[in-house]
Amino acid sequence: MYSNSQILRTENISIGFSGRKNSSGEIFRNISVSAGKSELVALFGPNGIGKSTLLRSLVRLLSPLSGNILLFNKDITTLSGNDLARMVGFVSTETVYVNNLKVYDLVSLGRYPYTNWMGRLLPGDREKVEDAMNMVGISSMKHRYINQLSDGERQRTMIARTLAQDTNIIVLDEPTAFLDLPNKYEVIHLLHKLASERSRTIVFSTHDLNIAIQEADKIWLMLPDGIYQGSPEDLILEGSFGKMFQHTNLLFNTSRGDFRVKRKPRGSIGLRGPKTEVRWTRNALERIGYQVVHQKEEKTMITINDESGKRIWEMTGKGETKIFYSVYALCGFLTGNI
Amino acid sequence: MQTENPEYNSGYKKVLLFGTLSAILVAVFIASLFTGTVNIPVSEIIRILAGSEASRPEWGIIITDLRIPRAMTALLAGTGLSVSGLLMQTVFRNPLAGPYVLGISAGASLGVATVVMGFSFISGKTGLSQPGTWYMVMAAWAGSGLVLMLILLVSFRVRDIMTILILGIMFGSATGAMVNVMQYFSTESMLKSFMIWTMGSLGGVTSGQLRIMVPAVGGGLLLSFASVKLLNAMLLGENYSRSLGMNVTMARILVFFSTSLLAGTITAFCGPIAFVGIAVPHLSRLLFRNADHAVLLPATMLTGGIVMLGSDIIARLPGLESSLPINSVTALLGIPVVIWIVIRNQKITGIF
Repeated sequence: MYSNSQILRTENISIGFSGRKNSSGEIFRNISVSAGKSELVALFGPNGIGKSTLLRSLVRLLSPLSGNILLFNKDITTLSGNDLARMVGFVSTETVYVNNLKVYDLVSLGRYPYTNWMGRLLPGDREKVEDAMNMVGISSMKHRYINQLSDGERQRTMIARTLAQDTNIIVLDEPTAFLDLPNKYEVIHLLHKLASERSRTIVFSTHDLNIAIQEADKIWLMLPDGIYQGSPEDLILEGSFGKMFQHTNLLFNTSRGDFRVKRKPRGSIGLRGPKTEVRWTRNALERIGYQVVHQKEEKTMITINDESGKRIWEMTGKGETKIFYSVYALCGFLTGNI
Repeated sequence: MQTENPEYNSGYKKVLLFGTLSAILVAVFIASLFTGTVNIPVSEIIRILAGSEASRPEWGIIITDLRIPRAMTALLAGTGLSVSGLLMQTVFRNPLAGPYVLGISAGASLGVATVVMGFSFISGKTGLSQPGTWYMVMAAWAGSGLVLMLILLVSFRVRDIMTILILGIMFGSATGAMVNVMQYFSTESMLKSFMIWTMGSLGGVTSGQLRIMVPAVGGGLLLSFASVKLLNAMLLGENYSRSLGMNVTMARILVFFSTSLLAGTITAFCGPIAFVGIAVPHLSRLLFRNADHAVLLPATMLTGGIVMLGSDIIARLPGLESSLPINSVTALLGIPVVIWIVIRNQKITGIF
């Protein structure tokens, strides 16, 4: 029915707070991005650049200072509050602290745009609520109070609420902010599943680049010089991520897709052995400031061998050979701490 | 608390609680008719209630003209103040909010002070200053209405709920200061009748005044029931309720209006009655362990009626020469409840 870019689109908007008369509260300008059907979009950018402001503008909690936001080709400002609530669901960074609120009741508040003035749930509404809880895997805790939930469970409850709201678009502001690593992966993977299996368009902001590169279909990258959009791979190949920390101590590693701290090199070292062992030994060597090269004629050379099920690190250089039984011991020797 | 909860079990518990509370409410209402400074035999009270003549005519007058209106007033004041406290706690998402945070009682005091101390000073009449006279009621109503208008004007322009709360407190302090000035310039007898008004009284409301009070409080309660859905969404905070499609400004105005109708009317007829509005909603939350206003609202009404009728019975316990000021009783009962809640929950933000 709609072409892919017509679900959610911004046309040259500038965002910020219209406040004082003489000072402009503009935070970011010339934003033209789009999100399509079944797409999971990750919004990425440094702290304070205006990610939250952009997301809040998309759900009309803020009005853009100029430009248009289009949902299904309709200008967002022409929609009634209720119509908008049937199109876009929102999960903010605010934690809901209500002692006596049960999971089921919180999720069923998502039916707000559909229920009558009393908020009565009809059988159809109850079905949607149950389905939403099933989707995110919280059905077993529907009678628990929300303040008894872990952060991950609470976040999934908030997501279930937007699912019950039955909107084509879901916007989430840092859904992984307070979660531990497994929960981060699970929540983002859940979003990915919802986007592809339930044909939702999902936009979320995050600081977890690794997860975003793995799971997102599209990235909106907010940088001081503008906003870039594309698949994570395109942005990596174009070198856009590298710009993000241009003036900082970080370097974007294009082949690995992550950031590393820039270090003053101590020297170079050769390394060979089984693939996995080489990958992690190299990780450690780089951390302590060595540049790892693959030429055979290096002054110092480390060979990883497997000797009857036990790994050994054999370092040759300056005419002598040393044997280490762990990466820790090897690094300790190289840094002179042991 | 527990996590067993099969669905029917919590529903059954709810029905049981509502049944028990209703029974207690009926019991305290009847008990309230039996207590007072004049000792009337039980058999006589039953005869009077059954519609036959009492053996002493003044007993009949005491029951029908004094005790029944008084019990009705206590019931209305208890339910109305508690419900308006619940509404304010939800709108401001603040466990310490009560019916008077918007400055309604301060506005009513200003009205009453103007009539008692200002107007009677000029005209020289003192008859106006009896608590419960129409002049006082109208003045209190006008005063709280004035504060309401200011709050509504502010809510149209200001979005941040904390700003509205602070402005409400400011309006309250400003009107309080004006009352202080009047008190400073008034005579001792005027000051006394004003002080008596501030202590609260359930006994001054006549059956004629009840004819105004019943529809006004009833209307306020109906409006609160009409906002159940809005209140539930407000629990999540402004951003979430807005993203659910709620018109936050209009919802707040509806809730402020019903609060003012409830608290303003009750304050006009009974004076500012403290603590019931803050403590009772917490009591009903503890009893029902539920955040749904479709449950909390009737629960708060029942609990509020029971607490107010009970406090009034304590205020008129047999053996006392005259009844204690109701404000002292509700405060002495309410403060331990608030302290208990604060200590039990430790963290004040998680009280709801």
